[in-house]
Amino acid sequence: MRCDLMGMTRGRRRGRRPAGAVLRRAAWLAAGAAVLSAGVAAAQGYDPMRPPQQQVPGAAAPETAPEVDPELGGLPVGPGAEDTFYLCSACHSISLVTQQRLTDERWDYLWTWMIEEQGMPEQDAETRETILDYLKTHFSAER
Amino acid sequence: MARLDDEDRTSGAVDRETIRRAYAADPFEAERRLFGRLAHADRRGFLRGAGLAAMGAALGAAMPFHRNFPSGLVPAAFAQDSEAELMAGKDGLTLLNERPVNAETPAHLLDDDITPYERLFVRNNGLVPQSALEQNAEGWTLTVDGEVDNTLSLSIDDLKNDFETVTQALWLECGGNGRAFFNPGASGNQWTTGAIGCPEWTGVRLRDVLERAGLKSSAVYTGHYGNDLHLSGDPEKEAISRGVPIDKAMEPECMIAWAMNGQDIPALHGFPLRLVIPGYPGSASQKYLTRIWVRDQVHDGAKMGGYSYRLPAYPVAPGTEVPEEDMEILTVMPVKSLITGPATGAEVPAGQPAEVRGHAWAGNGDVRAMHVSLDFGQTWQEAELDGPPNKYAWQRWRAEVTPPEAGYYEVWARATDQNGVMQPPTTPGWNPRGYGNNMMHRIALFAV
Repeated sequence: MRCDLMGMTRGRRRGRRPAGAVLRRAAWLAAGAAVLSAGVAAAQGYDPMRPPQQQVPGAAAPETAPEVDPELGGLPVGPGAEDTFYLCSACHSISLVTQQRLTDERWDYLWTWMIEEQGMPEQDAETRETILDYLKTHFSAER
Repeated sequence: MARLDDEDRTSGAVDRETIRRAYAADPFEAERRLFGRLAHADRRGFLRGAGLAAMGAALGAAMPFHRNFPSGLVPAAFAQDSEAELMAGKDGLTLLNERPVNAETPAHLLDDDITPYERLFVRNNGLVPQSALEQNAEGWTLTVDGEVDNTLSLSIDDLKNDFETVTQALWLECGGNGRAFFNPGASGNQWTTGAIGCPEWTGVRLRDVLERAGLKSSAVYTGHYGNDLHLSGDPEKEAISRGVPIDKAMEPECMIAWAMNGQDIPALHGFPLRLVIPGYPGSASQKYLTRIWVRDQVHDGAKMGGYSYRLPAYPVAPGTEVPEEDMEILTVMPVKSLITGPATGAEVPAGQPAEVRGHAWAGNGDVRAMHVSLDFGQTWQEAELDGPPNKYAWQRWRAEVTPPEAGYYEVWARATDQNGVMQPPTTPGWNPRGYGNNMMHRIALFAV
């Protein structure tokens, strides 16, 4: 929404343009007007600083949104979700997991930190791999 | 790791108070009687059948790693009442995490000069202690020991009677405020702009107490301890224990406080006693304060090392893995400001002046100047800036902006500290844990 609106205001401010640009500008204005009317209706609370990973409260979930399991603290459905839920929620709420978008190396580091500094019980190699794969798949800065 | 079915969850539920009392009397007997677990020599034992179901029912969740759970230790979830219930007393905060409790305040709810309890952010590292939940300060003592001539053991009455009482407005900001804007992401609670507040604190100067103890020449750092429980429930682990250089601790604004906004410090904010170390990340201001250990070295308590509250010693590209030994402790918080009125997305009349206002603060003392822009940072106008009631109180600013025609605008706010250092328009140096983000706050205005 922000890009469309900024495009519109830029279009208004600028002066003479080549013909092609004028056509593009008209398209911008038409699109911008549509967005502006929708935007003003939804203006209350619009926040240009809203981080992309935060959902808009009340907004419809995008079609690409992963299916989540409410029984597992809202974790996305997938291999490892159950193991992840039980290991992590033993100490902290799952919302601390679902907020993250980390590199693979940071997830590996956090695993070790949880064991060495935070008292998380050691897990067998298979469980470790299952859970870290799940975290790196669903809460990644890389994919 | 099978989940408990609904029948198991509801059968044999034991209430938390019964569990707490039983564990307090005899933890091993409590476990045998309540949950049917017999401890092995290594203090670990399987919970079987009904016992596991009963513990799961009382917890409200299954306990998949019960084999690893030491016998005789009260499960953390039983150790106290639900602290999440305390959040009912907060107004309009965004809950980031329930355990531990972490919640931030939308900018437009931070307009008060003195932040009321209802709108003060919450950042806990451990669990709110039972003493705080019960507002029970009976027998509370503060120990001051280490590199001092006289170890002190002070009751709250001693603090009130033997030292000068001071009241100051002091802002507290989480070191990770603004973490959500770093890319790639930094681990931890994804604070946006709301982990900041400026209540009024009453207590004594930390300096006066340290002078009473008598600092030895070997004293270089403080180490702070509270009685909050580690998330794992292990009573041997510290939830957090940070400290500050002695020179900082001796600043006259640093306090040991027992009251916030004229009331006992609320449970979520450190009842009955806490430090307030203004200008430093909030984690230096230990809640539930029981001990100040004066150290002859940089304090090495929980969350002093590794990547916690530390920044790379040199500039790094976003996403860089920085060796732990190249991380330095975050101390003075950078200059920053918020637009607290109007709320983002507000409608204002085109062609007419509209008031915008907020607060500005800096970890190194007073803010020198405040500017706002209505055109995405292309031109700036100076805002009116009030002086603080005392050092390290945030400062009120206000300005009038006039949108020339109908449309979409953003107000950008930029504070300048006493050294001429300004807030950046985008995230400053990326760091692995996302600290010290003082990028400009901006809000949307719709001129109609």
